[in-house]
Amino acid sequence: MATRNLPNFNPGFESDRLRIAWYGLIAVALVVGAYATYQRIVQGMASTNMSSITPWGAWVAFYIYFVGLSAGAFLVSTLSNVFEMEGLHKVDRDALFAAIIAMVAAMLFVWIDLGRMERLFNPFLHRNLTSPLSWEVHAYVAYIGVLSSELYFSMRADLVRVSEAGTGYRSKLAGLLTLGRTDLSEAAIAADRKWLKRFGIVGIPLAIFFVHGGTGVLFAVAKARPYWNSGLFPIIFVISAVVSGTALVMAVYVLRRKFFDGGPVDLDLLNRLGQLLLAFILADAAFTAIDALIALTTLERLEVGTWLLLAFGKMAWSFWGIMVGLGWVLPAALTSRRKWRRRPWLMVLAGISVVVGIVGVRFNIVVPPLILPVMEQLPTGDYFPSLVEWATSFGIVAVGLLLYTIGAELLPLTHLEDGDHE
Amino acid sequence: MSESGPSPGVPDMGADQFDAMVEAERPDPVEELEKTEYDTDLGLAMAEDAQRVSKGDLSSETFWAKYDEAAAREFGDDYRETPNPAVDKVDSCQTIDDAAADQLSCAGGPMESVAESLQNPEIDPDKQWGMVIDLEKCVGCDSCTVACKAENRTPPGVTYNVVMEEEHGEFPDTTRTNVPRPCMQCDNPSCVQVCPVSATYKMENGIVDIDYDRCIGCRYCMIACPYGARYLDYGESYEDEVMGYGELTSPEYGVDRGSREDGKSPQYNARKCSFCYHRLHRDEEPACVETCIGDARNFGDLNDPESEVSQMAESTRAFQLKEHTGNDPNVYYLK
Repeated sequence: MATRNLPNFNPGFESDRLRIAWYGLIAVALVVGAYATYQRIVQGMASTNMSSITPWGAWVAFYIYFVGLSAGAFLVSTLSNVFEMEGLHKVDRDALFAAIIAMVAAMLFVWIDLGRMERLFNPFLHRNLTSPLSWEVHAYVAYIGVLSSELYFSMRADLVRVSEAGTGYRSKLAGLLTLGRTDLSEAAIAADRKWLKRFGIVGIPLAIFFVHGGTGVLFAVAKARPYWNSGLFPIIFVISAVVSGTALVMAVYVLRRKFFDGGPVDLDLLNRLGQLLLAFILADAAFTAIDALIALTTLERLEVGTWLLLAFGKMAWSFWGIMVGLGWVLPAALTSRRKWRRRPWLMVLAGISVVVGIVGVRFNIVVPPLILPVMEQLPTGDYFPSLVEWATSFGIVAVGLLLYTIGAELLPLTHLEDGDHE
Repeated sequence: MSESGPSPGVPDMGADQFDAMVEAERPDPVEELEKTEYDTDLGLAMAEDAQRVSKGDLSSETFWAKYDEAAAREFGDDYRETPNPAVDKVDSCQTIDDAAADQLSCAGGPMESVAESLQNPEIDPDKQWGMVIDLEKCVGCDSCTVACKAENRTPPGVTYNVVMEEEHGEFPDTTRTNVPRPCMQCDNPSCVQVCPVSATYKMENGIVDIDYDRCIGCRYCMIACPYGARYLDYGESYEDEVMGYGELTSPEYGVDRGSREDGKSPQYNARKCSFCYHRLHRDEEPACVETCIGDARNFGDLNDPESEVSQMAESTRAFQLKEHTGNDPNVYYLK
């Protein structure tokens, strides 16, 4: 079957100057983030701008943002690994690896958000069957297990090839990651495919109904907050996750090709990802509009008040500019024409626009219903993240970027035997 | 009344004149002390240092280390039987009788004993504690809020009880409704439903408990509560305004946690009203009920059909807040 010599397995940055600049940028963000984390630990929750009226803020928004990115990216990977859509296998490892890193970031956000950070293992020691959050933490662990298994089975054969081809640290690491299964026979590779599909099949309901749908349920069960308390809410949650995941995979695919392994960008694949993104954006916008209409027709104080706050309040710029503008309008326009969908840099722009825009979606999920008080005569909240909240968030994002970059530099995220390298 | 003229009832005098009046009234310490049989110099020295103790410039331990021997020699038995109430019984440098110390001690002792008394489980097994607040009687004086703060020693930003005030109508035809809001101790509490670590739960007596040692501070309960009755302890303190604020905490839910220290629970935990659980076991009513000037608050056992509260809760005037939520509060209001 395969040729055993690896033409040019060199997945790191193509340009050393770019590598230094990128790691430098990450290092700065990490230093700032570390200092802010120190402040957060020393000063406690008082270092945030949260209050008892607005008890969740930026950290929770980023937590659900990264869970969404992860679930979305994973679902894109299943298009190839389970549904065997042609051509999409080229992005399955990008998608899986990004999904794992996004979960790591999400868990770090959950952790820093805990009032008592030292008790992070309590949810595994003391459970509560009626609490969606209790279920969620277990689903996250199972999901990270599924993602890692998927990536392993997708990449194992290439890991064996890398470990056999060279002697450098990349080969040594690849050798370790094969977990000792070094068989490259057709039967062994077929077994990998079978397990890849099996884990994917388990992973789909896990990602849709537990990991991200469940995170939506976590909000939707709060009947005290009518803005979240709708059956449509978890569905919108999943759709917006798929929007952000598709956009992330599209951007990462092009960027990694351009800056890392230098392979050509598959324009047909790009076109297809662009089409998917457009379809998901339209679905997301439509369902959100339905949800808003249902909410407004209740004429109920909190429902209507929260939507009005969102659209016309002090933070309306984040709704119109970031959520609607960057999340929906700009990327929908960029992906609307076939010719544009075949231009890699335009698609990177569309992808990044969505990835930033969905941050606005997540903030606008978490914060607005925590501004108006649940009892009319209680004080109204006023929330904008504190410097410590912003800086710790950038630090955690930098941790994710660092882990992703190191992985992309060391691991065979591009299939070695697709003819991509020839 | 002219702008420059004196206000009615306030004498037109300068500060120095007031000082002179005070000075004239002040007894001369030396003269006073010489009237007694005891040592004048010792008395003056102790008085001066006692002032430094009360200003916080000197610790009471240092004070007693300095004077205990001399005072014991000078005053004999009288001294041993009259301890200074500001001195802790435990670890004190003052050599006083145990009996006298117990009588006046204001150290952590009493909190410990309150907590101990709560370890006795048989006090209210079949009770269902409930509260009925008569809105016709509430005048909106907020004394319940103040009493609650004092009793539970809640930090800034944590207010177990608030009085929600609402004005209806247009001036001059306005009325005002005051709705006090403690924790509703719901029969179907949303907070208990969502807690990921089962740190908050319903006790048999109907009170919703928070286990401060288990709570991870995720604040999901605060999101879920339809009454906004839960607060996060952000670790803030009244220390700048009230000296010794953090020296003790209320033995909430029957646990004496000693002093309030940075990073120690209940800091960064969710907190809420507990119907003053620690008072109930001493046959005392919650602080808000005891203090209410209009007798608007009533407290008792809703399981006992003869009790005042169950009869009030049955009345046609009775209602609960947000009845549509299905939470079924154990706090009732009378229209």
